[in-house]
Amino acid sequence: MAKNNSKILGMDREKFRMFMGKYGIGVILLIMMIVIAVMEPSFRTGSNMINVATQVSINAMIAYGMCLAITTEGIDLSVGAQLALVSCVLGTLISNKGWSIPMACLAALVISTAWGVINGFLISKFNMFPFVVTLSTQLIIRGLAQLVSGGQAIPITDASFKQIYSVKIGPIPFPIIVLIIVTILMYLLLHWTKFGRYVFAVGDNMQAAIASGVSILKTKTGAYAISGFLAGIAGIIFTAKTASAQSNIGVGYETDAVAACVLGGTSFAGGVTTIPGVLMGIFIIGFIYNGMNLIGIDSYYQSMTKGAVIIGAVLLDMVMNKKNS
Amino acid sequence: MKKKVLSVLLCAAMVASMAIGCGSDKKDDTAGKTDDKKTEDEAKGGDVNGDGKLVVGYISKNIVDPFHAPINDYAKETLDGLKKDGTIDDWTGVLDGETDANKQIDRADECIAKNCDYVIILPAEATASDAAVTKMTDAGIKVIVVNSKTDSTDDVAMAYVGPDDVEAGKMLAQWVIDNVPDGGKYAHCQGVIGNSAQIQRGQGIEELMKDNDKFESVGDFPCEWQADKAANVATDMMNQYGDELKAIICDNDDMSSAAQKACNDAGRTDIVCVGVDGNENPLQMVKDGEMGATVLQDGPGQVGGAIDLIKKAINGETTEKEVMIPFVLVTKDNVDEYLKK
Repeated sequence: MAKNNSKILGMDREKFRMFMGKYGIGVILLIMMIVIAVMEPSFRTGSNMINVATQVSINAMIAYGMCLAITTEGIDLSVGAQLALVSCVLGTLISNKGWSIPMACLAALVISTAWGVINGFLISKFNMFPFVVTLSTQLIIRGLAQLVSGGQAIPITDASFKQIYSVKIGPIPFPIIVLIIVTILMYLLLHWTKFGRYVFAVGDNMQAAIASGVSILKTKTGAYAISGFLAGIAGIIFTAKTASAQSNIGVGYETDAVAACVLGGTSFAGGVTTIPGVLMGIFIIGFIYNGMNLIGIDSYYQSMTKGAVIIGAVLLDMVMNKKNS
Repeated sequence: MKKKVLSVLLCAAMVASMAIGCGSDKKDDTAGKTDDKKTEDEAKGGDVNGDGKLVVGYISKNIVDPFHAPINDYAKETLDGLKKDGTIDDWTGVLDGETDANKQIDRADECIAKNCDYVIILPAEATASDAAVTKMTDAGIKVIVVNSKTDSTDDVAMAYVGPDDVEAGKMLAQWVIDNVPDGGKYAHCQGVIGNSAQIQRGQGIEELMKDNDKFESVGDFPCEWQADKAANVATDMMNQYGDELKAIICDNDDMSSAAQKACNDAGRTDIVCVGVDGNENPLQMVKDGEMGATVLQDGPGQVGGAIDLIKKAINGETTEKEVMIPFVLVTKDNVDEYLKK
């Protein structure tokens, strides 16, 4: 292929480059799906696809928030702890205080969004490193979760609360509906609104953005607030899934979210991301878990494979993109 | 140009590595299929979902804890053996629960997708992992819960195989009663409060100790299974009660070994410390004569009990609803059997 003249896979070379540059991650996702489907028949059943989409909905919410943070040249490490706090708030309000489910969810979302605002404010107002800020607030948030729950697991027996995870509209479970709605909203927000443009501008070149009159404070605080809000939604889905509020959940969940962002072409240098890309990254992570388990790959090899696939995919993407520019 | 070569090589390497993984699996598959034909002639009593294939799922609690690693190894060995001799057609491999109920529920989805007939699960949490159990039983899978119960295990699971923690507590107390003939004061280091093992072990200790008027408790100390906290309790109690303190009973043996070490360091080798689990370090201390005994929880025995139930069900025999796997008292006499070289 390297010494090929002008055609690759029947496509003009220039076109092929453009195509891979834009959709390379999608091609990787497709190849992965085909390989797993050939190896394991139970993978390609409709019910398994719905399973995966339902499973990834939690990571998807976190990843969308994360990609906003990374695009502004930051990171949000507090999301895992946010899950725990949301879970404990829900458990306390619903099981101990007898709040109605919508009110409890609303309260939980307000709290998680507030923490997002605090993160963003500290980062933009005092120009602190996002890594340090969110690493610290993460500790505070998890501590709060332990305080709220008293360190105990609080069972949530309310059947209608569990429905948030399991109820189906037609054949589609509710978390997938949430995933679709949030994906569309995030796409519109990032690619069609002024706020979205500002996020890219701030991440790409902060000085130029300031000179052009973009408010760093508003943009970054907005980005982290959305990250907090989405972590709140993830926390609600998580708690409905396990029907138990616990302060020890969500440890390490930022890893999968960052991985999904990076796979989706989000650049740590800031200013580059696409929502469709991140969505594909989310599904790649989901299929890695699901596919390897169905094929029966030893779990000791699974995390190694995950790491290798991420590096491989990103490397491929980088090589392809470099040729474009 | 170089970069293009690199990218092509990378693609090739990724595909190749996937193909290797697949290749070895395929071999097993064909082996399974020939066995399939052989056994299909005999009517299979154990085929729960009636698809002509017997598939067993195994959802671990995690794959990293020193307590769980040997359990998973034992399950892998035994189930591989069953697959080879044709008793079952396939099993899922050790699915990693990552000590996370959320992940265990995802693994349960995969067991359902794979049309498993039987699934063995070691729950991460009593309440949160329950959804994994009920999801599978709703799908018609026969679930065997191992090591600790989830909330609805008694109602929906095919069986529970686990340790009898009350018995373990009694063994701890009995060891102290036997080895401190004159009696005296003892302390009790507890695990995480509210955990079923902590509650039941405490109950067992209490049952024996409350009827024994030679012994007096100086208190129950919440140490959250942590060795360093138990060591602190040991030093504090030695300061407070001096020679009157005769024993420290701990809910696990990470704590008892640390407590014993603290006592030994203070020159109080006469204090009897004992706990439950049979981890490497305490076993080594028993072997070296630094500690009298430890009570071993037979993890592989528990998962073995679960697999035996599956075998029975396949043969059409009736299965017990609850199997208690006994603990083993490990002293200098039998420590070599349990200590890994």
